[in-house]
Amino acid sequence: MSSTSLSIVAPAAGRRRDLSAGLLLGPASLLILVTLAAPLLLLFRYSLDRFDPTKLIIPAVTASNYLHFVTDSFYLGILRLTIEVAAGSTFLCLLFGAPIAYRLARTQSRAKSAMVLALILPLFMGATARTVGWMILFSHGGILNLGVGLFAPHARFDMMYTPTAVMIGILSFNLPYMVLMLQAVFERIDPFLEEAAWGLGAAPARAFWRVVFPLSLPGLAIATILCFILSMNAYATPVLLGGPRFHMMAPQVYIEFAANNDWPFAAVIAFILMATTILLAVVANRVIPAHYRAP
Amino acid sequence: MSAWSGTAFAAARVPSPVAALVGRGAVRVLFFGGLVLIFLPLVLTVYLSFFDERLIIFPPHAYTLRWYTEVVPHFAGPLLTTLEVAAVAVPGSLLLGVPAGLALVRRDFRGKGAVGTLLLAPLTVPLIAVGLAIYLFSVTIEELTNAPLAGSFLVLLAGHLMVTTPWVVRLVVASLVNQDRAAEEAAASLGASPLTVFRRVTLPAMRQGLIAATLFSFIATFGELEMTLFLVSPGMTTLPIAILGYLKYHIDPLIAAATVMQMALIGAALALLDRFVIRLGQIVR
Repeated sequence: MSSTSLSIVAPAAGRRRDLSAGLLLGPASLLILVTLAAPLLLLFRYSLDRFDPTKLIIPAVTASNYLHFVTDSFYLGILRLTIEVAAGSTFLCLLFGAPIAYRLARTQSRAKSAMVLALILPLFMGATARTVGWMILFSHGGILNLGVGLFAPHARFDMMYTPTAVMIGILSFNLPYMVLMLQAVFERIDPFLEEAAWGLGAAPARAFWRVVFPLSLPGLAIATILCFILSMNAYATPVLLGGPRFHMMAPQVYIEFAANNDWPFAAVIAFILMATTILLAVVANRVIPAHYRAP
Repeated sequence: MSAWSGTAFAAARVPSPVAALVGRGAVRVLFFGGLVLIFLPLVLTVYLSFFDERLIIFPPHAYTLRWYTEVVPHFAGPLLTTLEVAAVAVPGSLLLGVPAGLALVRRDFRGKGAVGTLLLAPLTVPLIAVGLAIYLFSVTIEELTNAPLAGSFLVLLAGHLMVTTPWVVRLVVASLVNQDRAAEEAAASLGASPLTVFRRVTLPAMRQGLIAATLFSFIATFGELEMTLFLVSPGMTTLPIAILGYLKYHIDPLIAAATVMQMALIGAALALLDRFVIRLGQIVR
C-alpha cells in the first residue's frame, strides 16, 4: 500500500535538491539503521557463537545452534505447535471474518463508519488488554467454569492453559484485522457483477462463490498471509492463555534469553521465526495463480 | 450456444430450498459468532471492572467504582515511565519522520524505493526479534565503550522512536501523495520564499496527516510490549509490561479497570482522529 505511494515519480530535480533530500531523510534513516539494521546483523552474529552454561558466550563461527534447533524434537515441536496454532486460527479467522467483511462492504448505512471504528478500537488495544476478557471467561472459577459446573457439578472442565484457549485468543485478536482487510478486498469488487449474476438467475450463494470469490482470491491470499504471520509472532496471548508450560516460538525467544541466559540460542529462535514467516509468505505468493495477482 | 449451455447448467444446479436455508443459517451463525469473538472479551472486561470482590466471584455481592480510583496509584511508576517515553518518542518521531516523508514524496533521487522500504521496515519485522537484537547491541556497545547503555532509558527511548517513526513517515506520505504540487509552485512563483511556502501551503495541507501521525505514534508507543520486554530494567518498566506481569498471577477487577481505562484512552484518541481524518480504516490496512 505505502510502497505504491512511494513510487510516485516527482518532477526532475537538480543537484541541490539531492542534497536536501539527504538532509531530510538522513536522521530518520540513521535511526532505523542504528536501532534495527545494525542490531539485527549483530543478532545474526550472536546466533553463530557457542554457548556454555558456566562461561556463557564463547565467540565462534558455528552453525551448531541452528543444528541444535532442527535436531531437537522439543524445539521442532514448538515450531510445529506454533505453525498449527497459527494455521488453525488463521483458517477460523477467514471463516468468521468473511461474512462480517462482506456485509460491511455492501452496506452504505450510517452505521458503517461506526462499525469500522468499533473494529479499529480493539486493534489498537494491544494483545494483553484483549486477553483479559478471555481470562475472565476461561480462568479457574471463571464464567465458563461456573457454567459447566451448573450442568455437571462433578465434571472437571478447565479451558485455561489449553491450545484451544490460545487459538481462540489469537483468533479473537486477529479477527478485526482480517475483517478490515477483507472489507477492502470486497469493496473493490463492483457490486454490479453480483447483481448481473442474480439477474441471470444465480442464487446469492452461487453468485458469491462463482463471481465474488474468484475475484477476491488475490486479496484473500494476502490477508491470509498477513494474518498467519501475525499469529506466528503472537506473544502475550500464548503466555497468558497457554500458561508456563505451553511453548510457542515468540515466548520461547524470551524464555531462552531471560530464564536460560542462552543469548545465541534465543537469537537462533528469533531468526528461525523470522525466516519461517518470510518463507511461508514467499511460498504462498508463488501459489497464487499469476493471473490472479495484482499487477 | 455457450450461453444456452450456461443457463442449462445454472438451472440444473439450483440449490434446494433446504440447502439454501441451511447455508444462510450457517453464514448468520458465523457472522454473529465473529462479532461475539471480537467484542465479548471487551464486554466481560468492562463488567468485571465493576465487581465489588477481590476475585472473580459470580455473581458479585455488590458493584463498585473504587477499582478505577486504585488503578493509577497501583501502576503509578510504570504509567509514568510509559508517559515519559511517549513525551519524547512522539515529538521525536515527528521531527524525524515528517522531513523524511516530505522527501519521499517531493524529492526525486536514486535509491528512493530502498530508503522507503528501510523507513517502513519496523512495521513488518517481528518486534520480539528486534527487542532481543537491540538489547544485545546495547550490551556490545557498552562492553566496547563503557557507556552505561544496557537497560538504560536512552535505549528504551531509541527503541520506541524506531517503532513510532514508520507510522509518521507512512501517514505523512499518505497525506501528501494526493496533494497537488501546483499550489506550492504557484506560491513560489509569486515570490514566496521556500520557508514561507512550507509554512503557509505545505504544512496546512499536511494537517490531517500530522494529527493522525501524532495519535498513531502515541498509540504505538503506549501499547508496545514485545520489543520493550527486552529493554526494561528493575525500577524502569512500562505499563504493558507491568500489566502482563500482574496478569500472569492475578485476574481481578483491578486489572479489568486498568484495561477499561486503557480502552477509553485509546477510544478517545481514535474518536478524535475520526473527526479530523476521514477513512480511518484505510490507514490501518
